[in-house]
Amino acid sequence: MTMIECIPQMLGTTEAWVDKGGVHWLATRGLNVRQVAAMMNSIHARFVTITAVELSGGQGIRLEYHWDLDGELLGFSFQVSGHSIESIYDLCEAVDWIEREVHEGFAVDFLGREYEPLLLRAGDKLGVNLHEVVQ
Amino acid sequence: MSYKIPMGPYHPALEEPYKLDMFCDGETVSDAKLHIGFNFRGIEHLAETRNYIQVIALMERVCGICSNIHTLTLCQAMEKLTGLTPPPRALYIRVVMAELERLHSHVLWAGIAAKLMGFKTMFMSCFALREKVMEVLQDISGNRVNYSMNCIGGVNRDITDPQAILTAVEQLEREMVRTIIPIFTTSTTARSRCAGIGILSHEKAVSCGVVGPTARASGVSQDLRRAAPYAAYSDFEFNVPVETAGDVRARLLVRALEIMESCRILRQALTKMPPGDWRGGDRKVVFATGTALSRVEAPRGEVVYSVSWKENSRNPARVHVRTPTFQNMPAIRWMVMGARLADTPLIQASIDPCYSCTDR
Repeated sequence: MTMIECIPQMLGTTEAWVDKGGVHWLATRGLNVRQVAAMMNSIHARFVTITAVELSGGQGIRLEYHWDLDGELLGFSFQVSGHSIESIYDLCEAVDWIEREVHEGFAVDFLGREYEPLLLRAGDKLGVNLHEVVQ
Repeated sequence: MSYKIPMGPYHPALEEPYKLDMFCDGETVSDAKLHIGFNFRGIEHLAETRNYIQVIALMERVCGICSNIHTLTLCQAMEKLTGLTPPPRALYIRVVMAELERLHSHVLWAGIAAKLMGFKTMFMSCFALREKVMEVLQDISGNRVNYSMNCIGGVNRDITDPQAILTAVEQLEREMVRTIIPIFTTSTTARSRCAGIGILSHEKAVSCGVVGPTARASGVSQDLRRAAPYAAYSDFEFNVPVETAGDVRARLLVRALEIMESCRILRQALTKMPPGDWRGGDRKVVFATGTALSRVEAPRGEVVYSVSWKENSRNPARVHVRTPTFQNMPAIRWMVMGARLADTPLIQASIDPCYSCTDR
């Protein structure tokens, strides 16, 4: 059994990986973003990026977290509840700038961390949704 | 006495606008804070207003040095969504363009590093050599900066005479072996200015998730051409240079050795280039609903594109770009801590930062 095959069991989920668009996706029902980050740390996976996707019809924001494990891309998708989600910055230093960018570009609040001065220099407010500003 | 020195966003030691607030004790930097976003362009949002042809031209302009890499990564992601596969010759042409771009980028960086070391003669030699790489790129694509080579399912231009390009590459390799490589690997000037400064430990490199030559100079052996081969890279033999010192000199050595490996890949690609079609433009492009990710080893490290599309839509629903400098920049803080103030411009330059990419 490969390390990737072991991950669902280690996370305590019965879901299976779905390969789509060059990524192994694991459904995150019942999973917490910090739980996944801690697991990725424990198996020495490398954090790659977070992609924020604004869902149509005002359904909010979806955050797709990506890690690299020996050249394989692992994806975990989390729906942002309200406007906030727990930060994983204390678990994974590499997320610092992308959490700040998502915060500033999509108005998502990452709970449990402080923000440095604006990364994108959009003005004097933190957490601007650029889509709404443009429209 | 402790004091703060703001460097940038417009400063003679910086090639592009960003700001580094350095907290110093005497001549020693005790901490630093980085600020970017002075030229943020909102390209990701702009991409959602472009169709699948226009978006390629737009993303080519994310970066002026690795422009080809951006379209390559984007096209690979769009190919996953359309199910189109480039013909073998197109994959080889993509490798040739990517490696020439790596040569051009590394030699450009070598010139800038030489200038910051106070080695002006070397700067001139590097830029003269870079000009020759750009001439080869122009011979292939007709352009010096934005090559417009990639399209969905193939490339826009053939390499009609691989032998002529091979001769040019061999000439370039000879000049690099004669000038840049020995100076950067053995000269006392380069050694005294670069050894032992701007150290990024292996542990910090892993924790910051740095990529490309910056990671490989800190003993992190990761290269997507080897770990997750794309285009035709699985057909070629090459080494991934890794150094462990984590200092500016290690980053210099990794890039110098990568120049040689790029020449090796180019020789193989141009010699073994398969015959046949190379175009992708005349097949019907139909997008499936979904998200696709693509990654490419750019000269500065891993570039990631996440592209989402809705069926029957002309435009992408989302294009997210994670550039290597975006991932590498925060590590500058750890590299300059404990460094002498005078060394900080060279330390910053040693990650080969690109703010055009970062402020995409």
